[in-house]
Amino acid sequence: MHDQLSSTFAALADPTRRAILARLALGETSVTELAKPFEMSMPAVSKHLKVLERAGLIARGREAQWRPCRLDAAPLQEAASWIEEYRRFWEASLDRLEDYLRKMKPAKTKAPSAKRSKTKSKE
Amino acid sequence: MAQSSNAANATTEFVFSRTFDASREDVWNAFTQPEHLKHWWGTPGSSIEIAHHELKPGGLFHYRMKFPDGRVLWARFIFREIVAPERLVWLNGFSDEHGGLTRNPWVPSLPLETLNTVTLAEQDGKTLLTITVAPFHASDEQAGVFAGGINGMKMGFGASFKALADYLARD
Repeated sequence: MHDQLSSTFAALADPTRRAILARLALGETSVTELAKPFEMSMPAVSKHLKVLERAGLIARGREAQWRPCRLDAAPLQEAASWIEEYRRFWEASLDRLEDYLRKMKPAKTKAPSAKRSKTKSKE
Repeated sequence: MAQSSNAANATTEFVFSRTFDASREDVWNAFTQPEHLKHWWGTPGSSIEIAHHELKPGGLFHYRMKFPDGRVLWARFIFREIVAPERLVWLNGFSDEHGGLTRNPWVPSLPLETLNTVTLAEQDGKTLLTITVAPFHASDEQAGVFAGGINGMKMGFGASFKALADYLARD
C-alpha cells in the first residue's frame, strides 16, 4: 500500500505528467488531444500515460480507437493523507513539547511571587 | 520568514511553526538536552530511550522508540549547526540499533535523510519555533517522492477538481 504511495509521488514529480493530470482534471479526453500542448512524440506521451496509469492516477477506456483517459483522484488524496500524517506528527510532537514546557522548571527563576501555587492552565 | 531558504527549494520544504508560552532558553533546552527530550520527543504513541546524545557539530543523537504493541524503531540525528538558543540544524533519519541509516518504514522511497532546521525567535516573552524539513542528498526519485508529498499537502483535502487543475497547471 505504501509502495503504491511511492509510485504516486514519483509520478507526480514530473512536470509533464502534472500538466497531463491538470488537463484531465477538466474532463476525460483522448491521447491525441492530450499530446497537443506538448512538443512530444506520441510514444513519449504514451510513456508518461503508462507511468500515470501504473500509479493509479489515471484510467483508460477500453474503446478500441479512442481509449479516453480519465483522472482518478483517489491516490492523490492518499498522497495528501500521508503528508497529513507527517504534519500531524509535528503537531502532536509540539503539543507534547508545549505540555512539557508547562511542567518544566524555567531555566531562569523569575522573581518569586506571593502566590506561588501550581498554575494549571488547562482549558 | 524564508530567510534561509532559497527560492528553488521553497516548494519542496515542509515548514511548520508554533508559538510557545515559554522563554527561548527553555524551548532550546527542551529541544537539545536528553533529560528533557526523553519526556516529549518521538513518534506519538511511543516512548523513547536515548542510547547516545552528543550535542556538537557532527555529533550523534541515537534513540529508540518503543510502541505499546512492542514494536521498536530506532532513529537518529546528526547535528550540523548549533547556535544556542536560536538555531539548531540536524540530519534526521531512521536507523538500525548500531546507528546505520535505514529507510522510512512507512514510505520506503522517501529520502533516507532530511535536513531539519529549527529556529527560535523571541516574541513578547513568548517563543516562535519554526521547523523546516528538506530532502538531503536525495536521488531524483526520492526528491520527487518528497516533493510529491509536499505538493499533495498544498493541494489540501477535498480540493475540487478545479482547484486541483489550477494547482497542477502551475509549475
